[in-house]
Amino acid sequence: MKNTTAEIAAYERMKPGAITAQGFLGDDERALADIIEADLEAWRRAGVDPDDAATFLERLESLGQKGLGEPTVVDGRWTVTVGDARGRLPCPFHDGAFHKNSIEAVDGTNGARVVYSDLSIHLLRRHRFCQGLGSPFRLDPEVVASMMR
Amino acid sequence: MNQIILGPLVVAGAAAALALVIALVDRVVNDYGEVTIDVNHGKRLYKVRGGSPLLGTLASQGVFVPSACGGRGSCGACKVRVLSDVGPVLPTETPYLSPQELANGVRLSCQVKLKKDIAVELPDELFSVKKFKATVERLDDVTYDIKDAVFRLDEPREISFTSGQYVQLVVPPYGTIKESVQRAYSMASRPGDSGRVELLIRLVPGGIATTYVHTALKVGDRVELVGPFGDFRVRDTSAAMVCVAGGSGMAPFKSMFYDMRERDAFPDKDIWYFFGARSSRDMFYLDELRRLEAEWPRFHFVPALSEPSPEEGWNGETGLITDVLERYVKDRIPRDKGLEGYLCGSPGMINACIAVMTRNGIAEGDIFYDKFA
Ligand SMILES: Cc1cc2nc3c(=O)[nH]c(=O)nc-3n(C[C@H](O)[C@H](O)[C@H](O)COP(=O)(O)OP(=O)(O)OC[C@H]3O[C@@H](n4cnc5c(N)ncnc54)[C@H](O)[C@@H]3O)c2cc1C
Ligand code: FES
Ligand SMILES: [Zn+2]
Repeated sequence: MKNTTAEIAAYERMKPGAITAQGFLGDDERALADIIEADLEAWRRAGVDPDDAATFLERLESLGQKGLGEPTVVDGRWTVTVGDARGRLPCPFHDGAFHKNSIEAVDGTNGARVVYSDLSIHLLRRHRFCQGLGSPFRLDPEVVASMMR
Repeated sequence: MNQIILGPLVVAGAAAALALVIALVDRVVNDYGEVTIDVNHGKRLYKVRGGSPLLGTLASQGVFVPSACGGRGSCGACKVRVLSDVGPVLPTETPYLSPQELANGVRLSCQVKLKKDIAVELPDELFSVKKFKATVERLDDVTYDIKDAVFRLDEPREISFTSGQYVQLVVPPYGTIKESVQRAYSMASRPGDSGRVELLIRLVPGGIATTYVHTALKVGDRVELVGPFGDFRVRDTSAAMVCVAGGSGMAPFKSMFYDMRERDAFPDKDIWYFFGARSSRDMFYLDELRRLEAEWPRFHFVPALSEPSPEEGWNGETGLITDVLERYVKDRIPRDKGLEGYLCGSPGMINACIAVMTRNGIAEGDIFYDKFA
């Protein structure tokens, strides 16, 4: 699929060293539009609406926040650790800046694990971008869906 | 010459000619000549060459507006109120500006190109901001993820600041990082020790600036610092200070306490300092602060561990720092002269402490922290 001009500019900012040290693409060599399209298909296959996934991750974050950096068990199922640095990180699409934080959530029932930040939730909700394969912050639709089931 | 060689040559020649024309047109069309920057209603006037962004042009005149992204329009730190017409707000600016800021003419100074005379409003504090060349004098691990970095100022040789303020560390390109970035760090040194700047820098895994400090920076390296910035400072009242920090949030408090002690400043103020860490390996300056507490009657130090293991032999407070804070503000801290909250740490910690403080009778307007954080 062809990338729009905004996507091409965002793609440049997603490379290592532009906004974050490792970038947002991992070792994925596909075009941005192809990554997004394939993940949309994966959400459909998993039967999960990406907006619901974003809301789910936000809820884990706000309940995990109570631990002030300590691992906190949410609803007896997910172990959530919210760490944050001060400062803000811009979105590669240039439409906002988000707290620098990192949230690790591990599902006690199946061991599924994701790491994300406020920017990751924005990227998912607003741009449907789950990050490239191999990015440490990738929100893999199948993994997230398995944590929501 | 055959056509196969001639073809590319003609194309290359045409491209070069076109580039020359573009460069000439750019010189003529974009030659804005000399423009005047009027700062704070005529208080300062700078005659400068037009054509460049306001942020960099002000910096060339020694006026340093904060910036974290190096002028790429992606941090929103470089806000300035523009009083004259400089054209419409660009799409790159709108995500960072609130409706109120838009209504007040606030712009991102890195996105405003100087094409004609301009009038702006800047906080007076910005005029004391300088760019310093400095040398790393010390770089010690105070915990497994926090470095205590001391910089000797080479040029200018002294910094004038109020304890609680921060500087921006300029991180040069390194490894895959192609462009310089700037990050804010609170000064842990005392204003009285004006030839040095001390910072406490916690490693953020994968972070651009902190990875640089923790893996590339060495004693003897030269860096640039820009500052001072910020209005986090001790208020001149007699109310007791209830200070809460975790991790690198220690920095501004270290500066405030040692400065107050050195100058015997705000002599009516009692100080309660709550410092939270997970286990002993996250705790630092313990002996030093306990010594300060023993020597200085109005200073009370309450370190707390949330998860001490039995082997640690911890004899201080245990529990989340917010719970420890709540126990103390409820009935252990005298309230006769009033209470003020001072917070430094992650946004999550700040929000949780504000909740504890306000439900225990400290007014929100008496709780202070760096708003940008
Ligand atoms: C006023 C002020 C004072 C400060 N004082 C101090 C201080 O005294 N000491 C101190 O240590 N810090 C301080 N800070 C914080 C400091 O300025 C930096 O923000 C911090 O050190 C991190 O910088 P960095 O360049 O290492 O991280 P960055 O590279 O800017 O950001 C790393 C963050 O990006 C997120 N991230 C990375 N990759 C991705 C991805 N692919 N998808 C989604 N999210 C991702 C991570 O969650 C991580 O949190 C202060 C900040 C402010 C505003
Ligand atoms: S300097 Fe970062 S947005 Fe202007
Ligand atoms: Zn965005």
